[in-house]
Amino acid sequence: MPNDMDIPPSTSALAQSLNAVKLSDSPLESRVLPREFYDLFLSESSKRRIEDPIRALLPLEDRPGLISLLAGKPNVDTFPITSMQFNLRDPVSSAESTIVLTEGELAKGLQYSSSAGIPDLLDWLVGLQEYNHGRKRGEGWGLCFGTGSSDLIYKAVNALLDPGDVALIEAPIYAGVFPVFHGTGCEMIEVRTDEHGTDAQGLREMLENWPAGKPKPKVLYTVPYGCNPTGMTSTLERRLQVLELAREHNFLILEGNAPRPPSYFTLEQDQPEVGRVVRFDSLSKVLSSGMRIGFISAPQCIIDAVILHTMTSNLQPPTLTQVIALRLLREWGYDGLRAHVERVAQFYHAKRDVFEGLMRKHLDGLAEWATPEAGMFFWFKLNLGDAAQGDSEAVIRTKALEKGVLALPGTVFHPGGRKTAYVRASFSLLPEDQVEEALRRLREVILEARKEAGVTE
Amino acid sequence: MVQNLPAEFYQDFLSASAKARKPSPIRGLYPLELRPGMISLLAGKPNAATFPLTSVQIKARSPTDPQKEFTTDITGAALAEGLQYGPTAGLPSMIEWIYGLQEREHGRKKGEGWRVSVGAGSQDVLHKAIFALVNPGDAVLVESPVYAGILPTFESLNCEFVAVPTDSQGINAASLRSTLEAWSASKAKPKILYTVPYGGNPTGMTASKERRQEVLALAREHNFLILEDDPYYYLYFGSAPRPPSYFSLELEQPEVGRVIRFDSLSKILSSGIRIGFMCGPDALMTVVDMHTAVANLQTSSLTQAIAHALLESWGYDNFKAHTLAVSEFYKGKRDVFERFMKQYLDGLAEWDTPEAGMFFWFKLLLNAPGSESAEEQDSESLIRTKALEKGVLALPGTVFLPNGEKTAYVRAAFSLLDEADVEEAIKRLREAVLEARGA
Repeated sequence: MPNDMDIPPSTSALAQSLNAVKLSDSPLESRVLPREFYDLFLSESSKRRIEDPIRALLPLEDRPGLISLLAGKPNVDTFPITSMQFNLRDPVSSAESTIVLTEGELAKGLQYSSSAGIPDLLDWLVGLQEYNHGRKRGEGWGLCFGTGSSDLIYKAVNALLDPGDVALIEAPIYAGVFPVFHGTGCEMIEVRTDEHGTDAQGLREMLENWPAGKPKPKVLYTVPYGCNPTGMTSTLERRLQVLELAREHNFLILEGNAPRPPSYFTLEQDQPEVGRVVRFDSLSKVLSSGMRIGFISAPQCIIDAVILHTMTSNLQPPTLTQVIALRLLREWGYDGLRAHVERVAQFYHAKRDVFEGLMRKHLDGLAEWATPEAGMFFWFKLNLGDAAQGDSEAVIRTKALEKGVLALPGTVFHPGGRKTAYVRASFSLLPEDQVEEALRRLREVILEARKEAGVTE
Repeated sequence: MVQNLPAEFYQDFLSASAKARKPSPIRGLYPLELRPGMISLLAGKPNAATFPLTSVQIKARSPTDPQKEFTTDITGAALAEGLQYGPTAGLPSMIEWIYGLQEREHGRKKGEGWRVSVGAGSQDVLHKAIFALVNPGDAVLVESPVYAGILPTFESLNCEFVAVPTDSQGINAASLRSTLEAWSASKAKPKILYTVPYGGNPTGMTASKERRQEVLALAREHNFLILEDDPYYYLYFGSAPRPPSYFSLELEQPEVGRVIRFDSLSKILSSGIRIGFMCGPDALMTVVDMHTAVANLQTSSLTQAIAHALLESWGYDNFKAHTLAVSEFYKGKRDVFERFMKQYLDGLAEWDTPEAGMFFWFKLLLNAPGSESAEEQDSESLIRTKALEKGVLALPGTVFLPNGEKTAYVRAAFSLLDEADVEEAIKRLREAVLEARGA
């Protein structure tokens, strides 16, 4: 999954970079796209979704003096958990402190809550979007919580795509999104990337030569920073070109998890029209992957569609998780979270260095790669000799498996599953001795494959 | 020896979208990591050294001794598991606990052609199961009135609702039989029946054993699967011996594997923790897991770890004692509510006494005596106007009718309010009804 691991530059640097790209001087509010704009983007299935009639009546409970017999909420007196606490490591000092949930927090955490997420947490996260991306309330966008960004990507994609619609997808990219798009019945079209990120020029050519009568693409899915699996980042220039294309050819930008400014979410503020960016955030790589913490920032009607989908499919994200997360995040504050993210980045840089050192030792001449500046993956091309015709799949799924090393053939990171000699390996978990053994085994695998291909060493 | 329906049997039941599902390109490979000696560079799992939570502790009441408390620390391997990505179908320890529970409660053993998937609430897996089985436009059997929260799922598939009436004994099996026997040969029969057999939402009625057995026989005769949605199973407080679940009763059938069972911890442990589970035939569970792998990856490891830690520290006997205490609690609340209904709504409403769950389902008698009308009365406008003005909010029964028909019924939850508020709420309802009758 797209990662969330480097430190945004300081606010003044952000302001500077934004000034350099300002395209419009009129106030932001006047450039925000209206709700009606999205009628062409929201999917039929989304428009047909009905609201749960019970949850729809809940707001009536807020009337003063009203006694409600409405909701089938269990009585918290029957819930057996009486207290909850957790130990939290300080992001800077590493000192541990014990955080005890208050009675009120616990009672809230154990009971049903809003499909969008609990209001206090949503508030905090809106503040985080201002801190990280310079975006404020009242700019036409909203935010809701989900059980991981995967949950929200699934719902947002279903809110936007119908069978026959076209989606542009950068590749290679996180393989987990393909089944999501595939499930909508849309057509996925691959957009190439290189060491500078999205091939904006290639995208322009594709759009300007679009077959007459074919529906234009509705969305572009992109991970502009530390893309999984390549680890590459789109330059500012490329991002601006993509934004321009989004306006010229009228598609939305689905931005995965790129905390390094300027994100698309940041950059669109200075566009003549604001409201084409849908942004997915996750705390899986920095707080806990098992907790399932994600949030989406998007034009309000897309948020509304996602919330409605949640109401039907899983009712709401867990209240308990949100209460714990909010408490933790408030303990740290925005600066504390940033400090933690910085430490996590340093941790993975060190692991990357160990891995790369051992790659040089064992795979020199047998593989090629660009050093990733972010993320937790190496993306490397196997030199298998001509006979393999640039295809890593057979080698990885058979020989490597037999020799006891498991990696991912690059083909799974392309929507059409095309042939590629690339492989993705994660450097996040293994200790040094296991890395060495894994790469040693991989070396043997490649040498054997080359021998069979008749390559003389 | 249990005679399971074979895997091929379910091919006719799986929806087109179920058959089109592919395994997740990455999660599908997780099992390979378990091969002995394998070194995995596969998954983009974050390193736990970067996770800042270092321990979690919960305290819980002892179900048997009000003075005692259980303290459970989640640390080490259990915490590591709770903080990391985990298997799509659920944490192994949680799944094992569930197998143990299902054997104790329903006599169903592991390894007999069915398995368990944990859901983020039973709604999560129920929603996915419906998508796995129903094609757009299909006819589906639903008891009526039906849990309103499941209607949007069926509506999004454009289903045709075949409503099966219910009464004080639960689902009306005779009516179901007539409907199926009169079914036009030119039209595909419904493949699934959705039912809440304990403390039905909204009716509060519990299906008798006889009715359940008839329905199981009909499922076999007319070839449909039963979605047994049972969130109030542990909230039974009737004086009669409790009827066995469909999941348990189907063992009496010549072939086993038509019942798909949904359990929830929401009404007994915590609704905010979002933990439920689904038990069903392998073929169907695989499809639901593939859906999860794509949509939300998995139920939260942390909430599972917390729930499991508590349940494990209690043991099954304490769990049982706890559910009995919860049932007693709701029985007490039912008694209070019913007492005031008798006091203030006698002659103004009719109802059957619920023996499970948390709802009263009562019919408002909106015609003044002597002015009977053949037309079905409608509670909705009264609830939304007079009752609201008088400061009481209940649910108009129409939201529970699959085809949105008018009804004079109302659903009220007795789970939350204290005695004083119950009395006041029912008094206000009385006033609203009297006004409507007088008008």
